[in-house]
Amino acid sequence: MSALEIRNIQKRYGDVETLKGINIALESGEFLVLLGSSGCGKSTLLNIIAGLAEPSGGDILIGERSILGAHPKDRDIAMVFQSYALYPNMSVARNIGFGLEMRKVPTAEREKAVRDTAMLLQIENLLDRKPGQLSGGQRQRVAIGRALVRNPRVFLFDEPLSNLDAKLRMEMRTELKRLHQLLGTTVVYVTHDQIEAMTLATRIAVMRDGRIEQLGTPEEIYDRPATLYVAGFVGSPQMNILDAELTGSGLRIAGEEAFPLPETFRSAVTAGRRVKVGVRPEALRLASADVTGIRLPASIEVMELTGPELVTTARIGEQRITACLPPRTSLMPGSAQVFCFDEAALHLFDAENGRSLLAR
Amino acid sequence: MERQGPLFTAFVYASALLLTAVVLAPVIWLFVMSISPAADLSAKPLNWWPSEIDLSRYRTLLSAVENSAGAAFIASLMNSLQVAGMATLAAIAVAVPAAWAVSRTPAVSWSLYAVIATYMLPPVALAVPLYMGLAYFGLLNSVFGLALVYLTILAPFTTWLLKSGFDAIPREIESAAMIDGARLDQILRLLTLPLAAPVMATSALFAFLLAWDEFFYALLFTSDLRAKTLTVAIADLAGGRVSDYGLIATAGVLAALPPVLIGLIMQRALISGLTSGGVKG
Repeated sequence: MSALEIRNIQKRYGDVETLKGINIALESGEFLVLLGSSGCGKSTLLNIIAGLAEPSGGDILIGERSILGAHPKDRDIAMVFQSYALYPNMSVARNIGFGLEMRKVPTAEREKAVRDTAMLLQIENLLDRKPGQLSGGQRQRVAIGRALVRNPRVFLFDEPLSNLDAKLRMEMRTELKRLHQLLGTTVVYVTHDQIEAMTLATRIAVMRDGRIEQLGTPEEIYDRPATLYVAGFVGSPQMNILDAELTGSGLRIAGEEAFPLPETFRSAVTAGRRVKVGVRPEALRLASADVTGIRLPASIEVMELTGPELVTTARIGEQRITACLPPRTSLMPGSAQVFCFDEAALHLFDAENGRSLLAR
Repeated sequence: MERQGPLFTAFVYASALLLTAVVLAPVIWLFVMSISPAADLSAKPLNWWPSEIDLSRYRTLLSAVENSAGAAFIASLMNSLQVAGMATLAAIAVAVPAAWAVSRTPAVSWSLYAVIATYMLPPVALAVPLYMGLAYFGLLNSVFGLALVYLTILAPFTTWLLKSGFDAIPREIESAAMIDGARLDQILRLLTLPLAAPVMATSALFAFLLAWDEFFYALLFTSDLRAKTLTVAIADLAGGRVSDYGLIATAGVLAALPPVLIGLIMQRALISGLTSGGVKG
């Protein structure tokens, strides 16, 4: 039984179509991340699920029951906002217990629930404070506690970590993952941060211009991006995208020598067709004499040591390529090198519509 | 700034002193006048400092003997308190829902601009229609009638102030409360209004001052002790054949006291309301 089903949801503001038919079905216990840059409609979709906005068309079901038209409080959801939206005039304990208070849960039961939740989030010592006296991370925990305490069927998160500094964000990310594993709740999580999406999600929906560009597990999104947009959005540093041309049974990248096309792409071959080649920086290695795979001669431009890896920028003809090499690689700027990568790491996209040419 | 020269420090102090002097000079002169003997005030050249302290006028104005100047003054003081108080309470009562509605529904904010536009009309333009209206309802020379007129002045103003106060409260807080299951009245009572309290206090104080100081409508729509307000009573003191400038000054000092007291009591709320920094997400 699906915990949450989004059926052909559309949203129009006047002539502007923000959502153009979204379909997602979510099993109970899934962690769905809506990933996209700002303005792609992901927050609108979340607000529609929460009942803070009404869709122009389509339907939403929670536990097989349509919730369109239902008041947010009757949807069996809880939401964590980007700004936390804590009640500044109430203590942390009352903030967490507010939902139960409004639902007329007896005081003793409520206090126990608040204490248990606070224990789970390690904020028992903060219960008497006001939100204004808390740090960003503590406020975040209170906001999560407020959602947890009600034990709803679906949790909604609207960019909950984007107001935290980098270190705290990593901690809270781990914390969220821990909570999800512990409680097995169903979550819809909106973010523009691909690392958050990759680490937290059981499934990612990459959104763009009101459509779902690709819906899949983090591995699928990373290993088999369906479009150029997804390929460029997920992964850091970004996937290298190079202009190339199909020649009979081979592939020529910007005037360099052609190499034979791997089996998997043979069906896509039309000589002279223009394509985009994608290869992740972490798939590239420096070629030694005996190595197999696809070879790319390049001239080194810049090396940046990040610690765990040496991020190297090089030039292939007129195009730039980035490679993540082992940190102790010795290279000279300006020197000519040959990169190579496995056939399995090759991605091909249609140059016009950006769709992947990988036979599926 | 960490480093400042002595000249700069002197300049800062001089500026502050100048401002203080400019602001306080009229008030101090008002007070000095109120305790100067009549002879000092009519002397030529003027005696800026009283030869002796004369508190008789305070006794005159605060005496409760019937039909005395004091009784009239105290009656007008009471009228002013009633009119300004009622108008302020009514204005806040009207403004809170209106301001909240406009703040949360930007699509109808034009209506607030339309109301503010009526502010551009000079009071003279409205005097005759208002007079006829009040006469029809038998509300001339009545504190209720005057309070009603003041309400029309105060409501747009307080709505405007409160709207900016509500704007500063994140809507997400209300959304969160909605998801938490709070009804609209609970959201307003438990969250929005407590968070807007500083702004409400500021609006109320300014509204009260506006009503307290109003002269034109009060002069037109009141005629005797039943409804005359302080501003009109003070003008009456100057209207006779012999004007006791000291008495006018004394009335002025006494008239200034209630707003000053309210201001002092609400000082903290007022300051946080004026800076709007009181609301944090």
